[in-house]
Amino acid sequence: MNDVSAGVDKPHQNETKTLNFEFRGDGMEYFKIWIVNVLLTIVTLGIYSAWATVRNKRYFYSNLYLGEDNFRYLAEPLTILKGRIIAVIAFIIYMAASALFPVAAMIFLLILIISIPYFINQSLAFNNRMTSFKNIQFRFKSTYGEAFMVAYVWPVLGMLTIGILYPLFFVKANKYVVNNSAYGTTNFEFDATYKDYGIIFLTLIGIGAVASILIFALTNIGSQATAALIPIIMVLMYFGLIVYFIVATANLFYKSVSISGHNFDADLTIQGMAKVILINAFFTLITLGLYLPAAKVRMTKYVSSCLTMHVDGDLNNFVAAEKESVSALGEEIGQVFDFT
Amino acid sequence: MAIEGFYLDGNTSNRVNARLEVYQEAKELVLHLIDDNGHRQTMPVQFDKIKITSRLGNTPREISLLDDQLFITDDNNAVDQLIECFTGSKSHSFLHKLETNLPLISLYTALIIAFIIGFSLYGVPAISKSIAFNLPDSLIENQGSSIAILDKTMFEPTQLDITRRNEIRQFFMPYLDDHKDLKPRLEFRSGMRANALALPGGYIVFTDDFVNLAKSDEELLAVLFHELGHLKQRHITRRMIQASIVTLLVVFITGDVETFDLITGLPTLVLDLSYSRDFENEADDYALEQLQHYNIPLESFALIMQRLDDYYTKQAVDDQSSKDAAQADKKTLPDFLSTHPATKERIRLVEKFKKLHADDLP
Repeated sequence: MNDVSAGVDKPHQNETKTLNFEFRGDGMEYFKIWIVNVLLTIVTLGIYSAWATVRNKRYFYSNLYLGEDNFRYLAEPLTILKGRIIAVIAFIIYMAASALFPVAAMIFLLILIISIPYFINQSLAFNNRMTSFKNIQFRFKSTYGEAFMVAYVWPVLGMLTIGILYPLFFVKANKYVVNNSAYGTTNFEFDATYKDYGIIFLTLIGIGAVASILIFALTNIGSQATAALIPIIMVLMYFGLIVYFIVATANLFYKSVSISGHNFDADLTIQGMAKVILINAFFTLITLGLYLPAAKVRMTKYVSSCLTMHVDGDLNNFVAAEKESVSALGEEIGQVFDFT
Repeated sequence: MAIEGFYLDGNTSNRVNARLEVYQEAKELVLHLIDDNGHRQTMPVQFDKIKITSRLGNTPREISLLDDQLFITDDNNAVDQLIECFTGSKSHSFLHKLETNLPLISLYTALIIAFIIGFSLYGVPAISKSIAFNLPDSLIENQGSSIAILDKTMFEPTQLDITRRNEIRQFFMPYLDDHKDLKPRLEFRSGMRANALALPGGYIVFTDDFVNLAKSDEELLAVLFHELGHLKQRHITRRMIQASIVTLLVVFITGDVETFDLITGLPTLVLDLSYSRDFENEADDYALEQLQHYNIPLESFALIMQRLDDYYTKQAVDDQSSKDAAQADKKTLPDFLSTHPATKERIRLVEKFKKLHADDLP
């Protein structure tokens, strides 16, 4: 009898099913929330911006579903406000110091450079901590050394080797973010390799080279009519390369992430992404920016619709970690000094 | 009243169907957990120990219970009723009401657009002006590096004869002495078309082409006064401050929405150009005032402006006949896309100024 029941249970448990990501927000609905945020931020001379941030983020997290469960954004506006005030004061001191005492500004800059890895860690920790799915929070734990490598050493090595090690920087940076992140007590894993990113970069260089030859040929042998085509071809090439890069790196990223045997998958396409970007740019320009919130909804909807998770069994067995408090300072410093 | 939803215990990711029963008369809440096998578990809930998130669009409502337990429901209206029943107030959904009232939304949108336009056109220049004139002088003078940069990139040493340069310096001497407080430093350079520039650090640069363009030293003086006007009005500092305020404004408004640089960049550029034309007008006014003050014919200003305009028109025509058609289009650029006011306007300014000061004339 025992064998039979085990036999019935086991295949049921290891069945793989696919859960879809879905964004259930709506452009018009978000526009109204956003415009109220702008209004209150102006009326309160910026103080409301912390509340606005929380409301904006809550809208995007709460409307993002994996299967039938949604994400949540947990940060308190006051925590964000505190971080923001400290960051803005630091920024004003920096601006004033650099204008009045160039030496003080140099020292400040040095301190900032040294502390950036620490703030990046803090910022990721805060954002993960403030994200919850099925009432279990995400986490992030890393070391100063690892953040330092990703912030300075790997990108500089990439540049010094004229880009040969640049794919490695992408691998290291994503490993740093993903492998140090956890859902409850369970760590994520990232398994893309140098080769995976190398192929993307080589494709970029290849397309760029072919297009350059084409343009070169047109400028030299072409008539007046073909010469007029050159700027169009250049813009198309530039746009195409950017979209290709966004799509290829996003797909690779999600395909390479897993958590305790559950895998993610992504099938963004160049046509799909190009369409979203062009529609968004067009409407945002003709509405002088008022379309921005709806544009963000459209983009989030598109990207979410391309993401899936292959679940081995079910997602019911994750366990929450102990609570820790993280301040929003890292995140806010990062935003004010523009490095996160 | 009963609110359907589900329950998460906060320790595991296992979700359980749940129903929150609300006994309105007794002011009691009971949560029923119903697992897959239909087993029920009930737990009483105290209203003052729970935290309910504010209503936000159509997103599910989260009710945090003790010890990180969570009840989630899509039934937003029922949760609003529950809050009203226990607190007796409707103020909890104030934001949600603001966010769903379409006529009001249209009103705020119009107000915000009006505010942004008004603030950009009047607020930003006024604030920058008051900051710039309250900054210590040492700060204003401390920005002398840009002539060094231009020397390395655009400028070439002047080809003007030393005697000609000394002539001009000699002629300018008394007027520069009268502006000692601005610490002006006159420099000659080539490598650029006919132009005169006021640079940070009090440098006033005349290009060779420009000096050759003028038919009299009084015309050069008119332009010197214009550049001194830039220094006097602290235009360089003000422009920097204005750019920072505009950046802040953009960050405030777009806030948490990621933007393409193009979308925020274009209006910012148009705005910057409008500020630039305002400064040119201020500098023109100053030049005319000074000419008047020293009893120099105001025509010299109009003359040099006309010469500059002719010079650039000719250059554009030359360019067009060679290769760069885009340069010629510059002539037909609309006002709002130009750094300087139209020459006609500037010449008309002289007439206006004359009329205005007709009484002062001897």
